[in-house]
Amino acid sequence: MKKRAFAICFALLVWALFAYSAYAAGGMPRLVDWAELLSDSDAEELLDKLNEISERQQTDIVVVTVNSLEGKSAMEYADDFYDNNGYGYGDGRDGILFLISMEERDWHISTAGYGITAVTDAGLEYMSEAFMDYLSGGDYYAAFITFAELCDDYITQAMTGEPYDADNLPEEPFDIIWTIITALGIGFIISLIVTGIMKGELKSVGRQIRADDYIKKGSMRLSENSDLFLYRHVERREKPKENNSDRQSPQGGSSTHTSSSGATHGGGGGKF
Amino acid sequence: MAAMQEYKCPCCGGAIAFDSRIQKMKCPFCDTEFEMDTLAGYDSQLRNDQADNMIWETDRGEEWQDEEVAGLRSYACRSCGGEIICDENTAATSCPFCGNPVVMKRQVSGMLRPDYVIPFQLDRKAAKAALKKHYEGKRLLPQIFKDQNHINEVKGVYVPFWLFDTSADVHMRYRATKMRTWSDSRYDYTETSFFSVSRGGTIGFETVPVDGSGKMPDDLMESLEPFDISKAVDFQTGYLAGYLADRYDVDAGQSAMRANERIRKSAEEAFAATVRGYGTVTKEAGSIQLNSKKVTYALFPVWILNTTWEGKNYLFAMNGQTGKMVGDLPLDKAAYRRWLFGLTGTIGAAIFAVFVLLWLL
Repeated sequence: MKKRAFAICFALLVWALFAYSAYAAGGMPRLVDWAELLSDSDAEELLDKLNEISERQQTDIVVVTVNSLEGKSAMEYADDFYDNNGYGYGDGRDGILFLISMEERDWHISTAGYGITAVTDAGLEYMSEAFMDYLSGGDYYAAFITFAELCDDYITQAMTGEPYDADNLPEEPFDIIWTIITALGIGFIISLIVTGIMKGELKSVGRQIRADDYIKKGSMRLSENSDLFLYRHVERREKPKENNSDRQSPQGGSSTHTSSSGATHGGGGGKF
Repeated sequence: MAAMQEYKCPCCGGAIAFDSRIQKMKCPFCDTEFEMDTLAGYDSQLRNDQADNMIWETDRGEEWQDEEVAGLRSYACRSCGGEIICDENTAATSCPFCGNPVVMKRQVSGMLRPDYVIPFQLDRKAAKAALKKHYEGKRLLPQIFKDQNHINEVKGVYVPFWLFDTSADVHMRYRATKMRTWSDSRYDYTETSFFSVSRGGTIGFETVPVDGSGKMPDDLMESLEPFDISKAVDFQTGYLAGYLADRYDVDAGQSAMRANERIRKSAEEAFAATVRGYGTVTKEAGSIQLNSKKVTYALFPVWILNTTWEGKNYLFAMNGQTGKMVGDLPLDKAAYRRWLFGLTGTIGAAIFAVFVLLWLL
């Protein structure tokens, strides 16, 4: 009997250890694809990546897709999902959760603990620019991979004590093909202009359209000179309303709020 | 009783009526308001519009005297029809226009005697040197064209020009606008004020030249301008010695149209330049009347050089007075491509290096 209990305990321990590595503390996997946007193989690969980064960085990187937010705002849903499913490493419950909802076409990134430090408002803006094209284009796998890799990069950068922020954004990856094509394109346009000038040197024959050389000097007399005001039109246009939400905080840093469970979250979101 | 004056709206063209409530004229179609004086003034401006009068009397002219004609010979090219005159001692062996050696002797007759001539001031050697210089610094000129520099013939030709003198009465009317913008807390305002601007006056033109030779390309001759007419002298047949003179075959009446185009352009621009201080200026009407018109017939000195290359005839001309050399040159297509792609590669590499540097910094 004791042996059996021991065996069960041992099995549970092994399972727990395994679960701890593959799953977040609460038992939910780091990829929850309820909207079924990913193929099985893509889902598997993405989950492997999320697990690998999460364990290495000791910060949960989570991707959640849902069909509907069930009446909540994207921020509330993402925060609650994070809090209720026990994501997060350590006391700070460090983690970053990426939620997209298909019905509302909302996306939201909720950060907690060290995730708040690593992903600043400016960093989030940059991140969203990087995955937005994939997201809008329906390439969800690429969007999530981009998100995961950027999170990895952000956390590594934050460890140095200087997280990516308004005055310290990640460098664009060097796209060699784009650079070569652009450089050659600009070079070609400049060359066209230069060779055009060289071609022009060969031409010296053209018609004269004016007779300016033959105006008798001082012969011009202005005898009629009237400027008559006729009418005026006034057009009135309403000023564009200033949009506060678009305003970027110049100070940098991360803005935070408190979720329904009382936990502190950062992040942000939008439509795709 | 004064006749009813009907005004048209300067804004939309509709018939306009007096609005007793605002004590102003108001257009019932576009709701624009006008002062009574404005409409009267605009009306009188419109009344000033006139039709052009740019007709030249070209029947004047001096005929040749018999003794002058006796010393001159006329040659006609059987190939291109070009006709030239020279003194009896100058043998024309080939046509200066097409290079064809077949020429036919004729009697000089029935043409106007030139009023003036600008004598040649530069000689054959200067023309050849100028052509050499004309080739220099042109990187897309085929090297072989430069090296083979075989000029078929260099001919000094007196080219007939009609010279037009006139005083032009110009009347121009423009619609001009001024823009002003301001804002209050809710709106941005753009106010456009419309003005009717009229300008009139006179401007004189002297010796506007038009090439009277149908054989000489007009653009080639116009490219040779300007000639210094103050150096012109009264025509004497003696000036023709050793040179060829082209016979005019485009008469003054036909040439006047070309002169008119140039006079109109310059006159309109001169008066348009006096309309200042507006955002936009659009010409609404314009007319030119030419007064005190005078047409003279003059011979201008031109060195004609021609060369054939790859079956194509290249014609160059040098102003025999100022030395200005003109003439289109052939394009070395292979060199053009080399330059285009070479430069694209070089500049592209340089820009690529700049991109890399910017990225690294």
